[in-house]
Amino acid sequence: MSDVKRMLAELQGICNNPKAQLDAALEREQKVVGVLPYFCPEELVYAAGMLPFGLWGAEMQTSLSGRYYPAFTCSLLHTALELGLQGKLDGLSAIMVPMCCDSLKCFGPNWKYGVGSVPVIDVAWAQNRKIPAGEEFTRARFRAVLAKLEEVAGKPVSDEEIAAAVAIYNANRAALRAFSAAAAAHPDEVSPLERCEAIKAGYFMDRAEHTAKLQALTEALNALPKGSGKPLRLITTGILADSPALLGILEEQGIAIVDDQVAQESGFFRTDVPATADPVAGMSQRLAMLEGCSILFDPEKERGRELVRLAQGADADGVLWIMAKFCDPEEFDYVPVKRMLDKAGIPLLAVEYDQQAGSFEQARSAIEAFAEMLRG
Amino acid sequence: MADLLTLGMDVGSTTSKCLILRNGEEVLASALVPAGTGTSGPSRALEEALASAGLAREDVAVLTATGYGRSTFPGADYVVSELSCHALGAHALCEEARTVIDIGGQDAKALRIGPDGKLESFLMNDKCAAGTGRFLEVMARVLEKDVSDLAEMDEQAEGIVPISSTCTVFAESEVISQLAKGVDLCSLVKGIHASVAVRTAALARRLGVVPPIAMTGGVARNAGVVHALESELGTSIRVSPLAQMAGALGAAIYGYRKGSESA
Amino acid sequence: MSAEEAKSAMIVLRELQDKIAQDAWDAKNRGEKAGWCASNFPQEITTAMGIPVVYPENMGAAVGAKGGGQRMCEHAEGLGYSSDLCSYARINLAYSDLKECQELEIPFPDFLLCCNNICNCMIKWYENIALELDIPLILIDIPHLEGESCDEDRVRYIRAQFDDCIRQLEEITGKKMDYDRLREVMEISQRSSQAWLRAVGTMENTPSPFSGFDIFNNMAVACVGRGTVEAAEAFEQLADEYEALAAEGKSSFKGEEKYRILFEGIACWANLRTTYKGLQSRGINLTATIYGPAFSFLYQNLDELMAAYAMVPNCNCFERELELRVHDGLKNKVDGAIFHMNRSCKKWSGNLYEMERQFREITGVPTMVFDGDQSDPRCFSEAQYITRVEALTEIMESGKEATRR
Repeated sequence: MSDVKRMLAELQGICNNPKAQLDAALEREQKVVGVLPYFCPEELVYAAGMLPFGLWGAEMQTSLSGRYYPAFTCSLLHTALELGLQGKLDGLSAIMVPMCCDSLKCFGPNWKYGVGSVPVIDVAWAQNRKIPAGEEFTRARFRAVLAKLEEVAGKPVSDEEIAAAVAIYNANRAALRAFSAAAAAHPDEVSPLERCEAIKAGYFMDRAEHTAKLQALTEALNALPKGSGKPLRLITTGILADSPALLGILEEQGIAIVDDQVAQESGFFRTDVPATADPVAGMSQRLAMLEGCSILFDPEKERGRELVRLAQGADADGVLWIMAKFCDPEEFDYVPVKRMLDKAGIPLLAVEYDQQAGSFEQARSAIEAFAEMLRG
Repeated sequence: MADLLTLGMDVGSTTSKCLILRNGEEVLASALVPAGTGTSGPSRALEEALASAGLAREDVAVLTATGYGRSTFPGADYVVSELSCHALGAHALCEEARTVIDIGGQDAKALRIGPDGKLESFLMNDKCAAGTGRFLEVMARVLEKDVSDLAEMDEQAEGIVPISSTCTVFAESEVISQLAKGVDLCSLVKGIHASVAVRTAALARRLGVVPPIAMTGGVARNAGVVHALESELGTSIRVSPLAQMAGALGAAIYGYRKGSESA
Repeated sequence: MSAEEAKSAMIVLRELQDKIAQDAWDAKNRGEKAGWCASNFPQEITTAMGIPVVYPENMGAAVGAKGGGQRMCEHAEGLGYSSDLCSYARINLAYSDLKECQELEIPFPDFLLCCNNICNCMIKWYENIALELDIPLILIDIPHLEGESCDEDRVRYIRAQFDDCIRQLEEITGKKMDYDRLREVMEISQRSSQAWLRAVGTMENTPSPFSGFDIFNNMAVACVGRGTVEAAEAFEQLADEYEALAAEGKSSFKGEEKYRILFEGIACWANLRTTYKGLQSRGINLTATIYGPAFSFLYQNLDELMAAYAMVPNCNCFERELELRVHDGLKNKVDGAIFHMNRSCKKWSGNLYEMERQFREITGVPTMVFDGDQSDPRCFSEAQYITRVEALTEIMESGKEATRR
């Protein structure tokens, strides 16, 4: 096995067995805090010496969550709740729930009365994020979250510790950006699924450790000659693009992901926390700088412009939108963003995705046809 | 130059279609078996078509599989998505068509095709069964009719009983309560057809309707749905007698193009 | 007594609603700038500034009630909007594209006023309208509460946006905010709110002096017009009428009030007759709904106003939302409760099952959930609804029999 494959396999192992990471942390007596999307102040968890643990649902059938959420709730929240209800997340010291979409606003109570044993920390951030009052609100409420995290951790957290955590997170973001670029340049070495797993592993492990592994991997990749094949070059967009079955179809069709605008992926790593005297203010400012996500207030649909820029910048053949079923923000964005892509002459395929689906045959047909179409 | 015989195999969710072409143009034989992927349907359709053309399997130079069960069909030289095949097939059946609406057993699709039959863009229905052949089957069962009776009943309708529910389960209970009220069965069928047409028209509008429109797939044989769709979209729709074979035909044409390239 | 004075409050309120709509058309026709506004946006701003606004949510309800919901939703779906999205939004997005609607038209806006205290769906909906019509969008972001009460950070944040909004509106419309007038509007709004509370408070009488379904029709004015003297007077008249009926033990509810229920959620406008008749024909009166007490917006000053808007239904923590229902249900002596699982509303539906369970456990009354939608008739099944209403009625009856014995 080559170095690259070995390192990818290692990250794959971490990504595909988050439970082992959780157990290992508990074994070493480190507290673990679950973090739901989107844009929670994870750095504060890290600064408090605890392990932030990403909760992005899972591909699974649910049986218990239907007692709380109606069938028309997105599968991310259905399956995240299901994991809790099944006791798979026992051991978490708390979960952070940002109330930034209508279904997320309902997660906390469903969790509280369903799971019970793990306390909920509500997170509020400003949608009017580019005005000073919005930045100040987010900063103040992140401070309130910090106070709750200090209680969970059982110790106070200094600004120096927060600044150090921010630095570690920014370094991780830089490493992820470098890896994403290296993966795009070496599609023969890194499959769409492997790319995703390497990125996603960071949600379950120490970010500093993740950075070290990614840097070694990126270095090894960049030492290799650039890929000689002629894959189709696609940009992915959406909330999640981590389905092994879907990504497997991309690989079969000779498709490379050359950049992404996916909440779980570049939504985490495209934008750093700026340096500020109050590190929590910097975290709030990052929210003001973020673009490219339907969860954010975006009256100019900067998301569409960014997508056009990304596609043109990466010389992409098209855009693949992994459309999260029952996600209001995504479903609203689809119409104007598609128009912007059409205007720019960038082909778009939207594939509906549901983590509880089990079958991807329709998606397979659509992706195959899209690939056939783009190849002419 | 010797004849190039190509075979298109469309393994659908509820039917299997097979068609044999000579030199990419002349249809030698075709067969349709009302059993789809995972059944004996595909191999029976293959045998029937070969027998009717008086050919053996090895006489066929290229076999192309398409449809829902395409990847599980053994011995295919090419495996191509049904969207590309329907585009090619519809183009062969109706050269002018720029928009193709295909309603199959599980999927509804709207395709835009170029002047050369190339697929330019497409949309598929969401996961819900409303607006697919499956929806019509469920409704036919509630009415204790065969799906093939629906078109004729539609024709005899005096009025229309609208069905508003989009959810198949709800629509079923809506139809049952209309039945209990004793409404004219034929008018009810017309309402069911209109409901499928509305869903399909929305899909076509999302793609952008460029006339002329051709319709393919099993549901195209149901004149009631076709008429409802025509009135919903305000334009005529072309339906070839071979509409249900469009996928298999497209697959055979694909095979012919590949076969003649390599020859 | 003149004919004018003889009008019932219901008629006065209906005329007032028509007048509010007509005023917006008139202003627009005079060349004034008009806006589209979210239902729980602080109406004090536009009322005080004399800026005409109309409410797409009201349009969505009215179009649904008049039978246009399905057609408009289907048009929006043709534009690419998922049928899973809010039907008010789909109707409004369809109207923005078609520029016409046979059931009801509202003047096209020069700006948008958005507030997400009821749901974040509003934000994405208004973003798309702003883009489609190329007009400015002013958002007052009111984040969902983290705890039981509204914290100082929220008050400051909302206040800053409130002030920003006034500045932007002054720029867009050329009208100036008169702060004395704002204080006056706040006072009138309090008067309306108190009268509204007094009116809906009479539901605690047995029988309730009116059918609770009337609230669905009156709340539009309660929500958007309460800053005007006409509205305050109309609500005072409504409260007087209800109190007079109650004093005589009378009711405008048709038939004998055998059972009293809480109805949770938005009405099924497209199936209003079916949902109403299914209850009324069985002697079931609606005597509790969150639209009663919760849309009162009580405050004494500007900071309290900000907090009041942060505590509207669907913006509170679950426990407070539950407490509002339980309190109202017990006070108004309900025998059962019906929960509308509204396909359009992810916020209202996301905790509905838990709300139903806890409400049942605390109050001890039977409950049922049915599937429906606020304006898209395709998500409602009459058969399902009636079956469940019948089952609920049977349980309520056996409970009453047990009490009688």
